[in-house]
Amino acid sequence: MKILVADDSKVMRQIVIRTLRQAGHGGHDIVEAENGRDCLEKVSSEQPDLVLSDWNMPEMNGIDCLGALRAQGSQVKFGFVTSEGSDEMRSRAAAAGALFLIAKPFTAETFTEALDGVLG
Amino acid sequence: MTLAPEVTDVQAIVEQVWSSFLGEEEPLLPRPAAGGQFAADEAWSAAVSISGGWDATVTVELSGPVALSLTRTMLGLDDADATEDGDVADAVGELVNMVGGNVKSLMPGPSVLSLPAVAAGRAAHPSGAAEIARFDGVWAGEPVRVAVHAIPQP
Repeated sequence: MKILVADDSKVMRQIVIRTLRQAGHGGHDIVEAENGRDCLEKVSSEQPDLVLSDWNMPEMNGIDCLGALRAQGSQVKFGFVTSEGSDEMRSRAAAAGALFLIAKPFTAETFTEALDGVLG
Repeated sequence: MTLAPEVTDVQAIVEQVWSSFLGEEEPLLPRPAAGGQFAADEAWSAAVSISGGWDATVTVELSGPVALSLTRTMLGLDDADATEDGDVADAVGELVNMVGGNVKSLMPGPSVLSLPAVAAGRAAHPSGAAEIARFDGVWAGEPVRVAVHAIPQP
Protein backbone atom coordinates (compact mmCIF):
# COMPACT_ATOMS: atom_id res chain seq x y z
CA MET A 1 0.00 0.00 0.00
CA LYS A 2 1.04 3.59 -0.53
CA ILE A 3 0.23 6.32 2.01
CA LEU A 4 0.50 10.04 1.26
CA VAL A 5 1.23 12.14 4.37
CA ALA A 6 0.36 15.82 3.87
CA ASP A 7 1.45 18.37 6.47
CA ASP A 8 3.29 21.68 6.16
CA SER A 9 5.35 20.76 9.22
CA LYS A 10 8.25 18.42 8.46
CA VAL A 11 8.34 17.57 12.17
CA MET A 12 4.72 16.48 12.12
CA ARG A 13 5.16 14.44 8.93
CA GLN A 14 7.97 12.56 10.66
CA ILE A 15 5.84 12.02 13.77
CA VAL A 16 2.95 10.71 11.66
CA ILE A 17 5.29 8.32 9.81
CA ARG A 18 6.83 7.16 13.10
CA THR A 19 3.38 6.65 14.63
CA LEU A 20 2.27 4.64 11.61
CA ARG A 21 5.20 2.33 12.30
CA GLN A 22 4.33 2.13 16.02
CA ALA A 23 0.72 1.33 15.10
CA GLY A 24 1.83 -1.65 13.05
CA HIS A 25 1.60 0.04 9.66
CA GLY A 26 5.29 0.51 8.98
CA GLY A 27 5.50 -1.62 5.89
CA HIS A 28 3.78 0.77 3.52
CA ASP A 29 5.34 3.07 0.95
CA ILE A 30 5.22 6.65 2.20
CA VAL A 31 4.99 9.77 0.07
CA GLU A 32 5.05 13.26 1.60
CA ALA A 33 3.30 16.48 0.60
CA GLU A 34 3.93 19.96 2.04
CA ASN A 35 0.47 21.47 1.58
CA GLY A 36 -2.93 20.81 0.07
CA ARG A 37 -1.92 21.79 -3.45
CA ASP A 38 1.12 19.50 -3.32
CA CYS A 39 -1.16 16.77 -1.96
CA LEU A 40 -3.63 17.23 -4.80
CA GLU A 41 -0.85 16.91 -7.37
CA LYS A 42 0.70 13.87 -5.67
CA VAL A 43 -2.61 12.01 -5.43
CA SER A 44 -2.65 12.27 -9.20
CA SER A 45 1.01 11.44 -9.81
CA GLU A 46 1.59 8.89 -7.04
CA GLN A 47 -1.83 7.22 -6.86
CA PRO A 48 -1.73 6.55 -3.10
CA ASP A 49 -4.17 4.15 -1.43
CA LEU A 50 -4.68 6.48 1.53
CA VAL A 51 -4.12 10.16 2.29
CA LEU A 52 -3.39 11.30 5.86
CA SER A 53 -3.70 15.07 5.80
CA ASP A 54 -3.38 18.02 8.13
CA TRP A 55 -6.26 20.50 8.01
CA ASN A 56 -4.52 23.89 8.35
CA MET A 57 -1.89 24.28 5.66
CA PRO A 58 -0.66 27.13 3.46
CA GLU A 59 -1.41 27.25 -0.31
CA MET A 60 -4.43 24.98 0.07
CA ASN A 61 -5.87 23.59 3.28
CA GLY A 62 -6.81 19.97 3.79
CA ILE A 63 -10.59 20.33 3.49
CA ASP A 64 -10.26 22.25 0.21
CA CYS A 65 -7.85 19.59 -1.02
CA LEU A 66 -10.39 16.87 -0.22
CA GLY A 67 -13.12 18.88 -1.95
CA ALA A 68 -10.93 19.30 -5.03
CA LEU A 69 -10.11 15.59 -5.10
CA ARG A 70 -13.77 14.59 -4.96
CA ALA A 71 -14.64 17.23 -7.57
CA GLN A 72 -12.05 15.63 -9.86
CA GLY A 73 -13.66 12.25 -9.31
CA SER A 74 -10.92 10.86 -7.06
CA GLN A 75 -12.25 8.46 -4.46
CA VAL A 76 -8.91 8.00 -2.70
CA LYS A 77 -9.32 7.09 0.98
CA PHE A 78 -8.75 10.25 3.01
CA GLY A 79 -8.34 10.92 6.73
CA PHE A 80 -7.41 14.02 8.67
CA VAL A 81 -4.67 14.31 11.30
CA THR A 82 -5.29 17.73 12.82
CA SER A 83 -5.09 19.72 16.02
CA GLU A 84 -8.79 20.49 15.72
CA GLY A 85 -10.98 17.65 16.92
CA SER A 86 -14.23 19.46 17.72
CA ASP A 87 -17.59 17.97 16.72
CA GLU A 88 -17.96 20.74 14.16
CA MET A 89 -14.66 19.85 12.45
CA ARG A 90 -15.47 16.14 12.55
CA SER A 91 -18.85 16.81 10.93
CA ARG A 92 -17.28 18.94 8.21
CA ALA A 93 -14.65 16.28 7.57
CA ALA A 94 -17.23 13.50 7.32
CA ALA A 95 -19.52 15.57 5.10
CA ALA A 96 -16.62 16.19 2.71
CA GLY A 97 -15.91 12.47 2.48
CA ALA A 98 -13.16 11.88 5.04
CA LEU A 99 -13.15 8.43 6.64
CA PHE A 100 -11.82 9.60 9.99
CA LEU A 101 -10.28 12.51 11.89
CA ILE A 102 -7.37 11.87 14.23
CA ALA A 103 -6.94 14.76 16.66
CA LYS A 104 -3.47 15.89 17.73
CA PRO A 105 -2.01 15.01 20.14
CA PHE A 106 -2.48 11.35 19.29
CA THR A 107 -1.08 7.99 20.31
CA ALA A 108 -0.22 4.88 18.34
CA GLU A 109 -3.47 3.38 19.69
CA THR A 110 -5.45 6.21 18.10
CA PHE A 111 -3.82 5.43 14.77
CA THR A 112 -4.50 1.72 15.18
CA GLU A 113 -8.19 2.35 15.85
CA ALA A 114 -8.57 4.68 12.88
CA LEU A 115 -6.47 2.73 10.40
CA ASP A 116 -7.12 -0.92 11.03
CA GLY A 117 -10.55 -0.73 9.44
CA VAL A 118 -9.21 1.26 6.50
CA LEU A 119 -5.95 -0.54 5.73
CA GLY A 120 -6.98 -3.98 6.92
CA MET B 1 -17.14 40.13 30.13
CA THR B 2 -14.60 38.30 27.99
CA LEU B 3 -15.20 34.61 27.57
CA ALA B 4 -12.08 32.77 28.67
CA PRO B 5 -10.98 29.15 28.78
CA GLU B 6 -10.51 27.71 32.25
CA VAL B 7 -6.88 27.77 33.33
CA THR B 8 -7.23 24.13 34.37
CA ASP B 9 -8.38 23.27 30.82
CA VAL B 10 -5.39 25.08 29.31
CA GLN B 11 -3.09 23.25 31.71
CA ALA B 12 -4.69 19.90 30.83
CA ILE B 13 -4.22 20.57 27.10
CA VAL B 14 -0.58 21.55 27.55
CA GLU B 15 0.12 18.51 29.70
CA GLN B 16 -1.57 16.18 27.21
CA VAL B 17 0.37 17.59 24.26
CA TRP B 18 3.55 17.51 26.29
CA SER B 19 3.27 13.91 27.45
CA SER B 20 2.27 12.73 23.98
CA PHE B 21 5.34 14.13 22.29
CA LEU B 22 7.94 14.42 25.02
CA GLY B 23 7.02 11.40 27.10
CA GLU B 24 6.33 11.29 30.81
CA GLU B 25 9.82 10.51 32.12
CA GLU B 26 10.47 14.20 32.75
CA PRO B 27 7.16 15.73 33.85
CA LEU B 28 6.02 19.25 33.04
CA LEU B 29 5.32 20.80 36.44
CA PRO B 30 3.18 23.87 37.13
CA ARG B 31 4.99 26.99 38.31
CA PRO B 32 2.14 29.01 39.89
CA ALA B 33 4.25 31.83 41.27
CA ALA B 34 5.62 32.82 37.88
CA GLY B 35 4.66 36.20 36.48
CA GLY B 36 5.88 39.17 34.51
CA GLN B 37 7.81 38.81 31.29
CA PHE B 38 8.87 35.35 30.26
CA ALA B 39 12.38 35.11 31.64
CA ALA B 40 14.66 32.85 29.65
CA ASP B 41 17.82 33.30 27.67
CA GLU B 42 17.51 32.47 23.98
CA ALA B 43 13.75 32.01 24.25
CA TRP B 44 11.58 30.79 21.38
CA SER B 45 7.95 31.73 20.99
CA ALA B 46 5.06 30.93 18.68
CA ALA B 47 1.53 32.21 18.26
CA VAL B 48 -1.71 31.25 16.57
CA SER B 49 -4.86 33.31 16.39
CA ILE B 50 -8.42 32.08 16.66
CA SER B 51 -11.05 34.20 14.95
CA GLY B 52 -14.78 33.91 14.38
CA GLY B 53 -17.12 32.79 17.15
CA TRP B 54 -14.36 33.55 19.65
CA ASP B 55 -11.31 35.77 19.09
CA ALA B 56 -8.02 35.22 20.86
CA THR B 57 -4.34 34.53 20.40
CA VAL B 58 -2.58 31.55 21.92
CA THR B 59 1.15 31.87 22.51
CA VAL B 60 3.79 29.43 23.63
CA GLU B 61 7.14 30.54 25.05
CA LEU B 62 10.00 28.15 25.71
CA SER B 63 13.58 28.52 26.85
CA GLY B 64 16.22 27.66 24.24
CA PRO B 65 17.09 24.30 25.85
CA VAL B 66 13.40 23.28 25.96
CA ALA B 67 12.92 24.27 22.32
CA LEU B 68 15.95 22.17 21.33
CA SER B 69 14.83 19.17 23.40
CA LEU B 70 11.35 19.42 21.93
CA THR B 71 12.76 19.53 18.40
CA ARG B 72 15.11 16.61 18.95
CA THR B 73 12.39 14.49 20.54
CA MET B 74 9.84 15.28 17.84
CA LEU B 75 12.35 14.50 15.09
CA GLY B 76 13.71 11.42 16.87
CA LEU B 77 17.26 12.87 16.98
CA ASP B 78 20.03 12.18 19.49
CA ASP B 79 21.49 14.89 21.70
CA ALA B 80 24.58 14.96 19.50
CA ASP B 81 22.62 15.61 16.30
CA ALA B 82 22.62 19.17 15.05
CA THR B 83 19.34 21.01 14.68
CA GLU B 84 18.69 23.92 12.38
CA ASP B 85 16.56 26.95 13.14
CA GLY B 86 14.03 25.69 10.61
CA ASP B 87 13.59 22.45 12.54
CA VAL B 88 13.11 24.32 15.82
CA ALA B 89 10.62 26.70 14.19
CA ASP B 90 8.76 23.70 12.80
CA ALA B 91 8.58 21.95 16.18
CA VAL B 92 7.64 25.04 18.21
CA GLY B 93 5.07 26.01 15.56
CA GLU B 94 3.53 22.55 15.72
CA LEU B 95 3.36 22.80 19.51
CA VAL B 96 1.37 26.05 19.42
CA ASN B 97 -0.79 24.66 16.62
CA MET B 98 -1.76 21.68 18.76
CA VAL B 99 -2.38 23.77 21.88
CA GLY B 100 -4.29 26.42 19.91
CA GLY B 101 -6.39 23.85 18.06
CA ASN B 102 -7.40 22.21 21.30
CA VAL B 103 -8.19 25.55 22.99
CA LYS B 104 -10.32 26.46 19.96
CA SER B 105 -12.26 23.22 20.38
CA LEU B 106 -13.27 24.27 23.90
CA MET B 107 -14.66 27.63 22.93
CA PRO B 108 -17.73 28.78 20.95
CA GLY B 109 -17.42 28.52 17.19
CA PRO B 110 -17.31 28.35 14.34
CA SER B 111 -13.85 29.91 14.32
CA VAL B 112 -10.77 29.68 12.17
CA LEU B 113 -7.32 28.79 13.47
CA SER B 114 -4.43 30.62 11.83
CA LEU B 115 -1.16 29.07 10.77
CA PRO B 116 1.50 29.45 13.48
CA ALA B 117 3.96 32.35 13.52
CA VAL B 118 7.25 31.47 15.21
CA ALA B 119 10.03 33.73 16.47
CA ALA B 120 13.37 33.35 18.19
CA GLY B 121 12.63 35.53 21.22
CA ARG B 122 9.89 35.95 23.82
CA ALA B 123 6.34 36.87 22.83
CA ALA B 124 5.16 40.48 22.93
CA HIS B 125 1.51 41.50 22.95
CA PRO B 126 -0.17 44.77 21.94
CA SER B 127 -1.12 47.05 24.83
CA GLY B 128 -4.84 46.44 24.26
CA ALA B 129 -4.56 42.66 24.46
CA ALA B 130 -5.77 41.29 27.79
CA GLU B 131 -4.33 38.06 29.11
CA ILE B 132 -7.28 35.77 29.93
CA ALA B 133 -5.50 32.52 30.79
CA ARG B 134 -1.93 31.46 31.40
CA PHE B 135 -0.09 28.30 32.30
CA ASP B 136 3.47 28.61 33.59
CA GLY B 137 5.41 25.42 33.85
CA VAL B 138 8.87 24.12 34.36
CA TRP B 139 10.36 21.21 32.47
CA ALA B 140 13.80 19.82 33.30
CA GLY B 141 14.42 23.02 35.26
CA GLU B 142 13.56 25.25 32.29
CA PRO B 143 10.57 27.57 31.91
CA VAL B 144 7.57 27.02 29.65
CA ARG B 145 4.63 29.41 29.27
CA VAL B 146 1.34 29.14 27.40
CA ALA B 147 -0.87 32.22 27.40
CA VAL B 148 -4.23 33.13 25.90
CA HIS B 149 -4.98 36.77 25.08
CA ALA B 150 -8.31 38.27 24.07
CA ILE B 151 -8.06 40.17 20.80
CA PRO B 152 -9.44 43.72 21.24
CA GLN B 153 -12.57 44.25 19.15
CA PRO B 154 -13.04 47.54 17.23
